[in-house]
Amino acid sequence: MRLVLLLLRKSLLGFWRAKAAVAITFLVPIVLIYLFGHVFGLYRKDTGPTGIPIAVVNASPDPAATQLIDALKAEKAFRIRTVTKLADGTTRPLTEADARAGLKNNDYRFAVILPADFLSAERFGLRVKFLSNPRNEIEAQTVNGILQKTIFSNVPQLLGQSLRQSARHLIGEENLTKFNRALANAYADYFNFDREETFRRLDSADFGFGDLKHLPSAKPPPADPNLRRLDTAPATTTTTAAAEKNTNDVFSKIVKIDNEQVAGKQVANPMAARMVGGYAIMFLLMAVSGSASTLFEEKSTGIFHRLLSSPVRPGHILWARFLFGILLGLVQTSVLFLAGHLFFGLEIFRHAVALLAVSLSAAAACSSFGMLIAAIAPSAAAANGLSTLVVISMSAIGGAWFPVSFMPEYIQSISRCTIVYWAVEGFTDVLWAGQSLFEVMPRIGMLLAITAGVMAVALWRFRKGKLFD
Amino acid sequence: MLTLTSVTKRYGDTVALDNVSLRIAPGEFFGLLGPNGAGKTTLMSLVAGLRPADAGDIALAGQSLAASAATGRGQLGLVPQTIALYLDLTAEENLRLFGGLQGLRGDELSARVEEAFTAAQLADRRHARVKTFSGGMQRRLNLVAATLHHPKLLLCDEPTVGVDPQSRNAIFEYLQRLNREGTTVIYSTHYMEEAERLCSRIGIIDHGKILALGSLDELLTRLPFEDEIAFPATAATEPLRAPLAAQGELLATNGTLRFRPRAGYPLSAFFALTESLGLSPRLFASQRPTLENLFLHLTGRNLRE
Ligand SMILES: Nc1ncnc2c1ncn2[C@@H]1O[C@H](COP(=O)(O)OP(=O)(O)OP(=O)(O)O)[C@@H](O)[C@H]1O
Ligand SMILES: [Mg+2]
Repeated sequence: MRLVLLLLRKSLLGFWRAKAAVAITFLVPIVLIYLFGHVFGLYRKDTGPTGIPIAVVNASPDPAATQLIDALKAEKAFRIRTVTKLADGTTRPLTEADARAGLKNNDYRFAVILPADFLSAERFGLRVKFLSNPRNEIEAQTVNGILQKTIFSNVPQLLGQSLRQSARHLIGEENLTKFNRALANAYADYFNFDREETFRRLDSADFGFGDLKHLPSAKPPPADPNLRRLDTAPATTTTTAAAEKNTNDVFSKIVKIDNEQVAGKQVANPMAARMVGGYAIMFLLMAVSGSASTLFEEKSTGIFHRLLSSPVRPGHILWARFLFGILLGLVQTSVLFLAGHLFFGLEIFRHAVALLAVSLSAAAACSSFGMLIAAIAPSAAAANGLSTLVVISMSAIGGAWFPVSFMPEYIQSISRCTIVYWAVEGFTDVLWAGQSLFEVMPRIGMLLAITAGVMAVALWRFRKGKLFD
Repeated sequence: MLTLTSVTKRYGDTVALDNVSLRIAPGEFFGLLGPNGAGKTTLMSLVAGLRPADAGDIALAGQSLAASAATGRGQLGLVPQTIALYLDLTAEENLRLFGGLQGLRGDELSARVEEAFTAAQLADRRHARVKTFSGGMQRRLNLVAATLHHPKLLLCDEPTVGVDPQSRNAIFEYLQRLNREGTTVIYSTHYMEEAERLCSRIGIIDHGKILALGSLDELLTRLPFEDEIAFPATAATEPLRAPLAAQGELLATNGTLRFRPRAGYPLSAFFALTESLGLSPRLFASQRPTLENLFLHLTGRNLRE
């Protein structure tokens, strides 16, 4: 034991001295988590991008268009430009030609055109032209999404007016009133809405969904346990969720927005819980897979010969390395969760004991993985290649990057064979679902079982491997 | 102390040690002299128990290595041919670690670390990281890291490569002191001067075989004369005439004497005689015999090509 501890102390000292290793183990993951946090908009105060410049051209005489532009201006993700500066210093409203020129010039990468027929009695819906010169697909989709959100969440009455105009155009005033009356009755019967109020709103095309929800007769949102696991069960909740099944795409867009808000209220930063947990386990694997190359390095410098000609046996070296991996992993995950706490308000202290227990067992499993790589690889280079390959694929399949439930069924069953899967499940159980130490015991047990199994194979292979040759 | 009996070691098709038998007595300073690839490191690693022999037996202090895998280890010190140190740790941290692993602790450990620093002349660099050391400094530390526990048997595998003459002397003196205090040393090298200076007995090894074994004198007597030795006939060389005439043919021509020895008369005996008369070797048109000559004689190759 003394020999193991001496060797362990040496590893810690050596690790601390190699500043590059320290940086890669701690700083790089923190920076990456911080950056990914920005990408996914996990910040407490600030969700999502801000100040994306967007040119808006208004060619419609309809007051609804101005209304929409005001709504867009209120969206902090965007910086709206509606005018162009002329040579003499005065400004005039942008035209579509201006917008196209600006896009080509890279003055902005997106432009919204509200054409003359922005709202028309001939058809239902709004007509909006979206021009872009995006630097990448993700950016275009993000902007598109926020635009839609703005349109649907801030000015639903636009749609109402559009709907009403087309309906009147198609079926006539009298029939429309009848239809609205019947619809209001249906809402009232099924969802317990106020009959008169609903009719009044339908008839005036005021689809104030936000208000509707808060009608005194509306049921309060049920406490749905599924909410905690957006990844394993589709989130369904509140009055709007029921409507989702029956209504068209427009409604489901609104519903989707509602879902996000509700989930966010119940769990402090759910995305962060999953993301930090997932990345923590991936970086953990990367950190301990260094074990293999360190061992091979010690072999090639002849240090093993020096050690093994002393009372040190291969077992001492291996157990010291294993313990070092666990310690390193434990410190690394702690640092990452602390970073998650500082960046995204991740609730780590409420579940500290359970989190520590899961981290410890995850670190043990990862450390045993590092040992296995060292045991089966014929050289340091092979060990590096092999561990990179396995870490990346295990992280992808095991759900470190995106939820396992997004993957095809057959891959999901492979996921369960990975360390990453059980660790991520454990972390999300604690951080997201707020489970206690007792409740996450099955996950911990699974991780420890994996550790024991992998270590057994590793120790057996070490005897046949090239490491101590 | 150490007995090798018909030891053979192969790496695939390469026979690194070929039926080697060797007996080293306690207190010996044994030199293992051979060119690259001769099998010196392999022999050391087998004795250190790092690898099993394919055939034969190695006994350390009367106990077979195979049987007592762990017991003899505290008595052994190995100076690897490579720099086997933790480069990111300081010199002192390295020594403390390796001393600790040998079971030293407390004041004893500190005392041995001091002693090692003195021998390696590195006391002033004790807190510097080993990777900032010059090659020769690393070599010196590499050596003393193996002697902290004053092993009964010290295996030094080419420990002075790249060390300057002065530091080399310090290392030699340290090793000789350890040897006087009872440490048996096996010292591999391809420098004959080192073997000649340090070793009480020398084994010449090539292609996994021990070609010759004995003290320096014993080995040099094996060198036969090749041809003849010419030297000036002066008053100083006059006393050589009678003894040399008894050992072969002595011809005088134009003030030059030519000595053709009888078969089997060793060159070393000739030089022992000239030295006893205080004659400079420069008088003779032949060199004092060296292990280099012996190696050439035994293998037809130079020790270092
Ligand atoms: N690990 C190994 N695998 C395969 N062959 C080896 C191995 N180690 C040594 N050999 C071979 O065994 C032979 C003896 O090698 P060894 O290292 O014992 O020589 P050496 O006398 O120490 O040489 P040097 O003076 O270069 O250190 C060489 O032919 C070498 O190629
Ligand atoms: Mg060698």
